[in-house]
Amino acid sequence: MDEEKVISGYDPTVVRKLFGFVKPHIVVLLVAILALGIATAAELALPVIIQRAVDQDLMADHLQGDTEDLRALSQQNPNVEPVVFGETAYVLESSLTAMAGIDKRSLQAEGTISETAYYVFSLDEPGDQEVIESHPDLFRTSDGQNRAGGASSRPRYAAIETSDLTQLTTEERRAIRSQDIDAVSRKGFVFLGFLLTVFLFTFAQVYLMAATGQRVMKDLRTRLFDHVIRQRLSFLHRNPVGRLVTRITNDVETINELFTNVLANLLKNLSIMVGVVITVFLLSRRLGFIVVGTLPPVLVVTYLFRTYARNAFRNVRLWISRVNAFLSEHISGISVVQLFTQEQRIGKKFASRNDSLLGASLGEMYVFATFRPIIDLLSSTSVAVVVYLGAASVLEGVVTLGMLIAGVELIRRFYRQLMSISEQFVVLQSAMAGGERIVELLDEEDRIPDNGSRTLPRPVHGTISFENVTFSYRPGEPVIRDLSFRVPPGHTVAIVGYTGAGKTTIANLLSRLWDVDSGRILIDGVNITELPVNELRRVVQPIDQDVFIFRDTIRENIRLGEPLPDGRLEEAARAVQADAFISRLSSGYDTPLDERGANLSVGQRQLVSFARVVAHDPAIIILDEATSSVDTETERLIQNGMRALLSHRTSLVIAHRLSTIKYADRIIVLSHGEIVEEGTHEELLQYGGVYANLYRLQYSEHGP
Amino acid sequence: MLGEYRTLLPFLKKYRWYYIFGVLTLAVTSGGQLFIPQLIRLAIDTMSVGGFDLSVVGRYMLWLTGLAAVIAAARFSWRYFLHGASRRIEAELREKLFANLLNLSSRFYGEATTGDLMARATNDLRAVRMAAGMGLVAFVDGVFMSLAILVILFTQHPRLTLIVIIPLPFVTLAILVAGRLMTRLFKRVQESFADLSTNVQESVTGVRVIKTFGKEDYFDDRFAEANQEYQSRNLAYVRVSGMFFPAVTFLSGLTSLLLLRFGGVAVIVGTISAGEFVATLTYLEMLVWPMMGAGFLVNIIARGGASLKRLNEIIYHEPEIASPPNAIATVKRTSLSIEGLSYRYGEDLEPAVSDIHMRVPEGATIGVLGRTGAGKSTLVSLLPRILDPPPRTIFLGDHDVRNYDLHALRSTFSIVPQDTFLFSASIKENIAFAHEHAPEELLARVADISTISRDVADFPEGWDTLVGERGVTLSGGQKQRIAIARALAAERPVLILDDALSAVDTESEERILSRLLEERRGSTNLIIAHRVSALSRSDYIYVLDEGRIIQQGTHDELVAREGMYRDIFLLQQAESREETHRGGAGG
Repeated sequence: MDEEKVISGYDPTVVRKLFGFVKPHIVVLLVAILALGIATAAELALPVIIQRAVDQDLMADHLQGDTEDLRALSQQNPNVEPVVFGETAYVLESSLTAMAGIDKRSLQAEGTISETAYYVFSLDEPGDQEVIESHPDLFRTSDGQNRAGGASSRPRYAAIETSDLTQLTTEERRAIRSQDIDAVSRKGFVFLGFLLTVFLFTFAQVYLMAATGQRVMKDLRTRLFDHVIRQRLSFLHRNPVGRLVTRITNDVETINELFTNVLANLLKNLSIMVGVVITVFLLSRRLGFIVVGTLPPVLVVTYLFRTYARNAFRNVRLWISRVNAFLSEHISGISVVQLFTQEQRIGKKFASRNDSLLGASLGEMYVFATFRPIIDLLSSTSVAVVVYLGAASVLEGVVTLGMLIAGVELIRRFYRQLMSISEQFVVLQSAMAGGERIVELLDEEDRIPDNGSRTLPRPVHGTISFENVTFSYRPGEPVIRDLSFRVPPGHTVAIVGYTGAGKTTIANLLSRLWDVDSGRILIDGVNITELPVNELRRVVQPIDQDVFIFRDTIRENIRLGEPLPDGRLEEAARAVQADAFISRLSSGYDTPLDERGANLSVGQRQLVSFARVVAHDPAIIILDEATSSVDTETERLIQNGMRALLSHRTSLVIAHRLSTIKYADRIIVLSHGEIVEEGTHEELLQYGGVYANLYRLQYSEHGP
Repeated sequence: MLGEYRTLLPFLKKYRWYYIFGVLTLAVTSGGQLFIPQLIRLAIDTMSVGGFDLSVVGRYMLWLTGLAAVIAAARFSWRYFLHGASRRIEAELREKLFANLLNLSSRFYGEATTGDLMARATNDLRAVRMAAGMGLVAFVDGVFMSLAILVILFTQHPRLTLIVIIPLPFVTLAILVAGRLMTRLFKRVQESFADLSTNVQESVTGVRVIKTFGKEDYFDDRFAEANQEYQSRNLAYVRVSGMFFPAVTFLSGLTSLLLLRFGGVAVIVGTISAGEFVATLTYLEMLVWPMMGAGFLVNIIARGGASLKRLNEIIYHEPEIASPPNAIATVKRTSLSIEGLSYRYGEDLEPAVSDIHMRVPEGATIGVLGRTGAGKSTLVSLLPRILDPPPRTIFLGDHDVRNYDLHALRSTFSIVPQDTFLFSASIKENIAFAHEHAPEELLARVADISTISRDVADFPEGWDTLVGERGVTLSGGQKQRIAIARALAAERPVLILDDALSAVDTESEERILSRLLEERRGSTNLIIAHRVSALSRSDYIYVLDEGRIIQQGTHDELVAREGMYRDIFLLQQAESREETHRGGAGG
């Protein structure tokens, strides 16, 4: 049952360590954030454009006042631009806002400006004149008072009370408001421009963030993979393969969420929320205070929700992992369940876990089912409050209608972001948990100390000496005891003994997969711990019982990345007589092998592993023969290959076959980590000890 | 594809009230939302006349708040009912799935991998839940909301509406097309992820080769390739998926643009009011989601159908091994006789056992000797019909095992399998696995016989120590001894040990077997082993090699005769002498 931490709090160490992986990509990330900023700003500008259109073009209400007073106002604020009709003048109502430092309401109260709204337009199109002439009583033109000056033969402006506009026909209105229509069209293009900006920059941001995320993931995986394969074997024994695979793949993937979802959304949501508040304040300080005033309840609810959601999510994940663990365990152990006829009881046990999962799942559903409606309710309530108080401010003239419309739109936007943030929160926490597990793995170090600096004198002869070597996998249970022997260059020594005598351990020690507890192992007189591990492994190469084939071509399985010319590769294959079967394969050396070499026979796999070693041409090989019995054809193949393999090399063979033993120059009989007999085949048979017994009972059966 | 949904029908019926209430309250939610813009419009229209009455605005806003409260209640309610129903259905389906899995036979498990079955029980089930919950929501929401909004918009301003909604069908189309494309790209991402996992799995498993050849760098490079490929495929996916939401936002923004241009002119020329303009703006925003919903719906239903198909394959899979009609309900006598039994795993495979003739009289202890691969475990699996023997080859009492009720037949045997499988429960639960309410004395006794009781004393939490990753890691011998205790605690007429003490040293084996046979005196026992020492106490011994019986007789007879039994006996004797010698010297 794997109930790993699925959710975690904020841990600065983990974040700092993970940030180390982000650093190289910081520039791209900053560009992405910049794109996010631009997109967000453009997105916020969209409702503002609509507000401007409503206020300046659709409504376009003007108020009337004395030219002198209005000129004074425009001195205060250049946004106020009076249209002068001699003694009286008109200003755009929406320009008289608190933002401009003007209190419209008191101006109206003291009579500086009118209560009545007017529509004012310039007369630069021929159609305008016709409309005015057909309704002379409704319009007032700027030339009425100006004619005395004789400056102009035609009036430049006309004004009409807004409420009188309804007396005009649609065509007449279209004619006098043609400038507004043009302005709306222009704003339409601006709007389109902003839409395109949002589109392009949002995409840029999403893509760049995802790209950063992917790169960070790639680096993380590379580091983790490298970290794992360079650890000592005991580390790999301690950590089940499945767990390591999960760390490198799935856990890294949860961190990816940080970039693709959380980071982008969080930044965006937050910046939009801040942007909304700022925009509202820029529109009107009064409106801003009203909007901010409606927020505390929603912040409290969100805070509470966060806690509930986290617990609910944690609970669901816990039960999901329990149910899945139960499921996979009982699928694996189905035969035990059926053997002991426990189907019903196990079925019930599963049902009860399943019920708990349902309970947790429903619990999570309640939390979300409650939260969303509450936020919506609060959002609508906020709108109501803003509209009501805003309406009061409109009456005071502090806020215009367009501002209010924009405000309502903005406040809805604010709530939308809030909703999205609360959904990110849970993801953020589970990504943190994944990060924690990864950092833990990276912090675990257990490598074979690789600080040797000597090199072997060339040419390497390949003398092996074990001097009083003692070793145990687990303290107190020695597997090799005070073992000493010497293999002269070019000799083949066979090691035989019963199962558990420590034969394979000798191979592990010589190739430094493990280090000796005491004593030393020398190659050509140099202690192997004084050699760089890579140097050692070029010289000593083992062939395991269980041949490991990678899912790659035969060529790659032989080369293992070594840049060997094809000639040498094929020579190696020929030497071990592997070329015969390889050339019969559909694509020869480029034939892809399945996982674990499933499309080769046992013997063929063995030959590939022989070719692998011959191609790498080490001075010393350790051959751990396969115990499994093979058919005579395979046996013949392997024996032929072996001859090429062993010639001109020092070799240590953990032998299971009589033919191999007979081929050896000397035989060492091992029992419980100690040498009990030593000599040639004939000598040992005559001696009549353990070897003679072994030979009679075991090896004679498998004779060629 | 829709035919696969038949599995859901009984559930839809069972939860019909959930669905009815859910859909009703969903309609209230969606309908109510339509009035919110209307109220805002009324308020704004009120305001657009200079010197309006604030209390009128106040009244509209009170209504709005009241309406919002109703919507909130309805929204909670539909979530409660619809999500509740889909999650309940998911749980029931999961239970049904597992119940059927429990009865499927080894042939099914031979073909299916655990990973695949788990994927069905998790991912596919989730996809079905989505279809049963969100699929419906999307459907109702999409159809109802779109229709309602379109009706409102069209009745108010048909021509304007016709213009401004032009981009919306493209939203649905975009989702359909992008959905397909994204599914395909995502599949490529997943394939690449599987490759990446395999690469890691393979490298970690084959790390010995990597290390002994000093090829860490090369395998780093090899991993880097898979890593790079995964990254590129992810980015290919992101290029489409990242385009998706901005594109939808853009298309829906176009509706606002059209409204601004054409609706704006309408306001200017006085065909519509400013309030109507704002209300239309809000409606258009509300239309975007249902339009997206329509696209998602198609994807969800398609995915749900594909997943249901995979679930149905298990749910409707008939177990190959089941009780026959008119089964014999009780096992009266426990003598076993095997007559001319042959079994092969596949048509074109060599038989695993062939022409076996054996007798296990009631109350006798019979031994079977065989090396790895001799067919011992096949034989053991055939007796309780874990594998199905051909008719009239195995008899229990006077009847063919195939004629018994399966439960009754299997309840006759207590088996210690060769591959010890323990559950990650406490040691006590593992021992009492087949005898849930076993009395304490029985558990203590069987733990004593199997000698696991000594080890338990050293465990941190004694009997309640958990087995497996989250508890103690047991040695092979400890696992086997727990499995023996488990089989003994089941107290069944026939005990079968299938190489059950292979990981225990000969001395302990001797001690365990003598007490075990003492306990089982008078019951039928079948001991299968590759070690002679485990068999010497048997009344009669069969020697199995390459699926055939090659020798039979008592221990003494077989030792006296030339043959495999004697060879193995002598070899193992030599080994054990060696061991005793060492043990003496070392200890």
